[in-house]
Amino acid sequence: MNCPIKTQENREWLLEYSAGRLDRERTMMIEQHVEACPDCARFVEEQRVVWDALGQWESPDLSADFDRRLYQRIDQAQPSSWLAAFLRPFRPFWRPMVPVAAMCLLIVAGVMLHTPTAGVNPVHSRVESVEPEQVERTLDDLQMLRELSLTPAQEANTSQPM
Amino acid sequence: MPQWVKEDMGATSLAFDCDAELMLRVREGDGASFALLLEKYRVSVAHFLYRMVQDQPVAEELAQEVFLRVYKSRESYEPTAKFTTWLYRIATHLALNWLRDEKNERGQERLDEVAEDGPVREVADRTPSVEHQMVRQVKLEEVRKAVAALPDKQRAAVLMHKYEEMDYSQIAKVLSCSESAVKSLLFRAYETLRVRLAHMA
Repeated sequence: MNCPIKTQENREWLLEYSAGRLDRERTMMIEQHVEACPDCARFVEEQRVVWDALGQWESPDLSADFDRRLYQRIDQAQPSSWLAAFLRPFRPFWRPMVPVAAMCLLIVAGVMLHTPTAGVNPVHSRVESVEPEQVERTLDDLQMLRELSLTPAQEANTSQPM
Repeated sequence: MPQWVKEDMGATSLAFDCDAELMLRVREGDGASFALLLEKYRVSVAHFLYRMVQDQPVAEELAQEVFLRVYKSRESYEPTAKFTTWLYRIATHLALNWLRDEKNERGQERLDEVAEDGPVREVADRTPSVEHQMVRQVKLEEVRKAVAALPDKQRAAVLMHKYEEMDYSQIAKVLSCSESAVKSLLFRAYETLRVRLAHMA
């Protein structure tokens, strides 16, 4: 195989070999090469020193109340309304129904918008339906009043030009 | 994942399925599944964060934040990647942000303070092996300082490679970069460490 250091090919094999994480086949290839290559042999030796040194670095234990504090924070972050608490057990069931419900609402809204309603503008429609008859009747009434109740003097006054 | 890395492929994929499945149950409101994930990853995440920030109270605080974010994100969780990739992406993001803010505020002096008042002075036990313990503590301090001196991304890559035993592709996903970039990060980091820790042979 080509020298991983000189050719930059498969350099990671050297890292994994030093860490003992390389598979058997490639381990044999690297071992054969390292025996004949002083640069790679030195690399492996130095890398193993680093690997062992890092391996000795232990982390301190977690606090005993880590979980309690975490769950406390989770509780504080939860919505506290009674409605949210009531709906939580049903969430798995109603979540898939949300799109269906939204579609139904849209359909209902569309139907309501396109249905003619009698009570949209009742005053206006009533005026439109009775207006000719009412005007005709009113004119008749005025004519009748004029004929019945006006005196000749008043009639004369009304007939004078303004 | 490269075939040449000696990993237990069956166990890895099983763990992936298992963790993702648990997280999907958390999404449906199953608190017991969250407790299982917490039990499984609490220590490794906290240790990773400790080695990143090298401050135990801060590491615990950040670890809490990681699991809090996991819980808060449960409803939007989709198993598009390994659960651990997602988990460590959150942890790394928090650690890098903290380090950036810390650098802005206090610089490097904090490390020196800890070095003076830290584990080296705690060795007060006059047992026959006290010299051996002191030598060991000094060595660990050198390791800690050498890792702390690495650039943040190189440090994260080394810690995931060494302690979490992640392969290059997973580290790349956590750090949102290419595999070749990860290899480059690791080689530069280990090169620095080889120089700094050469005398520990």
